[in-house]
This record gives sequence, C-alpha cells and structure tokens, in this order.
Amino acid sequence: MNKIKLGLPSKGRLKEDAINFFQSKRLIIKNSFGERNYFFNIEGKNEVEGIFLHAKEIIERINDGTLDMGVSGLDLLKEFPEVYSENVKIFQKLSFGFADLVVAVPKDWLDVQNMADLEEVSFEFREKYGRRMRVATKYPNLTETFFLSKGVSQFRVVASLGATESYPFTGSAELITDITSTGSTLKANNLRIVNDGNILKSSACLFVSKKFQKNNFLKNLK
Amino acid sequence: MKQGLEKKRLKEFFSKQILSSFEKNNFNFTDLDLLIDTNLLTERSGEQFKKTTLTYKDLLGKEISLRPDLTVSTAIKYIQEKKNKEEKYCYFGTAYRLDKKGNLKVFDQIGCEIINSNNKKSQINLINSVLKPIKKIKKLEVTIGDIGLFKILVNSLELPERWKFRLIKHFSRREYFEDLLKRLETNYDLNQQTIEVDTKRLKELKKMDKNQFIGGRTVFEIIQRFEKKLKDPRDNFKGKKNVKIIRDFLKINLPIDKAENAIRLFFFNHNLRNKDLAIYLKKISSVNDALGKKYTIYFKTNFGRNAEYYTGLVFLAYVLNKSKLIEIARGGEYDTLLKTLGYKKDIPAFGGAINLNQLINL
Repeated sequence: MNKIKLGLPSKGRLKEDAINFFQSKRLIIKNSFGERNYFFNIEGKNEVEGIFLHAKEIIERINDGTLDMGVSGLDLLKEFPEVYSENVKIFQKLSFGFADLVVAVPKDWLDVQNMADLEEVSFEFREKYGRRMRVATKYPNLTETFFLSKGVSQFRVVASLGATESYPFTGSAELITDITSTGSTLKANNLRIVNDGNILKSSACLFVSKKFQKNNFLKNLK
Repeated sequence: MKQGLEKKRLKEFFSKQILSSFEKNNFNFTDLDLLIDTNLLTERSGEQFKKTTLTYKDLLGKEISLRPDLTVSTAIKYIQEKKNKEEKYCYFGTAYRLDKKGNLKVFDQIGCEIINSNNKKSQINLINSVLKPIKKIKKLEVTIGDIGLFKILVNSLELPERWKFRLIKHFSRREYFEDLLKRLETNYDLNQQTIEVDTKRLKELKKMDKNQFIGGRTVFEIIQRFEKKLKDPRDNFKGKKNVKIIRDFLKINLPIDKAENAIRLFFFNHNLRNKDLAIYLKKISSVNDALGKKYTIYFKTNFGRNAEYYTGLVFLAYVLNKSKLIEIARGGEYDTLLKTLGYKKDIPAFGGAINLNQLINL
C-alpha cells in the first residue's frame, strides 16, 4: 500500500503551530532521523510519511501529486494560478497563521483614503512622471487581480523578496501590498492601510490533493 | 461551417477582393509586425492588457506580445516610420487574443486606417470603404455610436471633476463602470473621521519643503489634491440624479435618422448645456446623410465600449442569425492612441477592419 505523504512547514511559528495542531489530534510528530533531518513520522501511524518543506513548496507538491496533504497559508495558494485550486483543496481552515494581505501607502499621502483615490492618483502620476506607479509586493498575482478589480490599471508590480515596507522610501516603489497581522510593522515604517484595500484574509489551512479528499486518515483530523 | 482547404481558398478570394477595393480608395497596403513590445502596451493600457494577450519573456527578460489587433500595430508602424502627414494604410493579417479563461482566440482581419488626416470627411470615407465590400450581405445592419457624446454628457453634469474623470476613464470597463455608478448613487466618498486626523497632519505638511518627495509624490501634489478633495464634496442627492441621467442616456438606441433630434431633446429635457453638443449632432447627421440610404443604421449611445482606445465615432456591421449577432466589421476613432504609444502629440486617427473568419462562414 502506498504511504500517505504529508508536508509541514520547515521553520518558524507556522512549523510550531502545525506540529501543535497535529498533537491536539493525538498525532505526535517524531523526528525519527534526527533534528536536522527533513523527514518525520507520526507516532503509531506507519502509513504516514512526512517531510518538512517551505510553505510555498507544500502547495506546489500537493498540486503535482508528490504530497497528499500538508499545512500551508491560504495566501500562498491564492497567489498561485487559479488552476492550482482545482488540485489543491482546503480540507480545514486552521486557527493560526492569521494575516491580511493589504494595500499600504505612505502615511503622509493624506489624499489617498481608498482605492478610488489610488486609481485617480495613479492616472495623475502617469501624466506627470510619464511612468506607472510601482507596487512592491511578494504577491504579484493577487495584487494585480485586486487592483484591476478596483479599477486601478496604471500600476506596475515590482517583485519584492523582503523588507517590502522600505520600498516607498528607497525610491524602488511608490506603494506596497504586504501581509500583516496587527499592522504594527506597517505603522512603524510610516505606512497606512488603504480603507478598502484588504486583498485577502488569510490563515493557515490543511490542504489535501483532490484525489485524497475522501481518504480515511482525514477522519483523525476533524 | 466550412473546413480546411475550402476555408483557405475563400480567405484568399475575399482578401484579394477586399484589398483591391481598399487600394482603389487610395489605401496603401502595409505589412505589419507580428510581435509588439509589451511595455508599449502596458504603459498605455496598464497591466490588465497582459491578461488578454499572449505574452512571453525573451532571454534578457524583455516581454513581447503577439499583436492583439492590427490597429495598434498600424499605429506603431506610423510612429516607427517617423511619419508626420496623412497616411492611408490597409492590411491583412492575424490577431491573437486570450479570452477570459485564457484560451487563445485567433482572428483574421482585413482593414484600413487613416492616420493624421485633417479632412472632415475622412471618417465617413473610411466607414464607406470598410462597408462597401460587404454591402451585398443580406440583412446587413450597422450600429453607430460616439464615445465623445458620452464625454459631453458627463461634462454637462453637476459632478466633482474627479468623478467626471473616473466615469469617462472607465467607460470601456463595463463591470467597473457599473461599480462606479453604484458608488456614485449610494456612498459618500469622504471618510469624515480620517479627514479630521489628516487635517491636523496637513498643517505639519504645509511647513515642509513643497518639493520634498514622499513615496514618489511631492508634498505639493499631496496637499493640492487633499485640499481639492475637501472643497469638492459630492452631494448624495445629485449623485442619484446624475446616475439616473447616465443610465437613461445609455438606453438611447434608434434609427440614425431619428438620433439627432432624440439626443437634442434628451439634453434639453434634463436641462444639460454643452457648447460642443452641436458639433457632435452635426457629425451624426453627416453620417446619416452619407450612409443612411445605403445601409440600415442604428445609433446606440451604449455602443463602442469594447476597446479602451476609442475616443469618438465607432461602428459595427453585423447580421442577426436566429437572434445571434454575427460581427462582420467594426472600427472607430482613436485620437489619443498614437501619443500613448510614443508619438509626440495626439493626432486624428480612424480605422476599421473586416473579420474574415466570420465573413467566410456566412
């Protein structure tokens, strides 16, 4: 019989919370091959084979069928092309990893309260400077879709790998979209969230592959 | 439905006939580039453009798109060849677009464009040139619209300038335009709580160097727009009233010989005044004079919203087959397109194309 393949986040708070979630279901994660090894087992459940991976890769691997299930963020699934959601199904939204993907502008842009303002400013910006406003983000697809749905078309996405909050003040972008849970990092970096600029409410989720949705093992996790 | 070789033969036959007809009307055949620098188009239309075109990156990361239509390619050609006088082009080629599901749609287009013409009759001549080869199609009907007329309507309404700007800018985006109308008739677009906090911060900003940049915008720009916004609040009641006027205006659809009077009456009944209205009405009446007896033409105020670059007169020739509309030819005025693609100024431009794929299936 083929073993069930489970992926969990490989580091940080998400890893800890994911392990605790399994523990709360009496499924104890064991690093059988040593602390630094990426493979793990579940105590008393020999049918499961686990691996610690980057949260984004967990979704990739469920999509291509290498994993049957895994814990990752809803934001990461939604950032992938829509076709991923046909193969990667949400089995359960989990009560950790809460964060919002939001649009944030420099706090001194007093005239920009909502996305309609941003739409208007983006046209004026292009007229005046002969280029489109740049939005720094780690989520280019979600950002593009959201901006277009709000009528903001005059923008260009700048891919950010980290410290996105600094972009408007280093000349690399004019505004950003980023994940935030309390808003305090944005505030500390002189940014404010645009009133109707909430792109996505995200949390950690237990994802399963389409083929795995009816597997008996999932009863342990309800 | 015709297949394979028969289709190919028909396409060759029609394209020769139509091009010859265009050339008789002094249009010069031009060969257009298949690929377009994506940046040229996204700078003009924004990122949403990429969602409807087949775009890829070359090895150096530069984005290139297959041409989504031949009008844009003709405009780029005019700029690349550094023309500065009237040019009359005709062409035959394929356009590539992605539908909402991302499937590739391929169109064979044969059309003509007049760029930088000051001849007042050039638009009617072009419509005539496009319609002439398809004139004999049974039950052919033509719809005419004018985006400029919508702009006149909006500019005649009592609305804050930023709302006029928005409504005109997004006229071609039907879904978002509908959102805008809903917002205009229901919400007040200033958040009083935030305004109070921000007004305090405004005092501090006013003490700063006006040329200092904050996130790519100057302090001056921010202050100017903020103050303009405060002085220009939208009255909720007028919002509702204006939305009703816009919706009623967009319902006008009648034979072209009745359009001039109906539109004049509409403006009069709603107490809307605009000095440019007469120019537009004259344009409608000249289309009627030139083409009204040759074709069945309707004037529709809600028509011409499919392409963002249309700025004025637009037309569509079609047949109705069991209540299904089959588009045979379409085109319109695009006076601002060339500047946004890199030309030094706005110049008059008008074009139209026949959809060969539909024509051969009739």
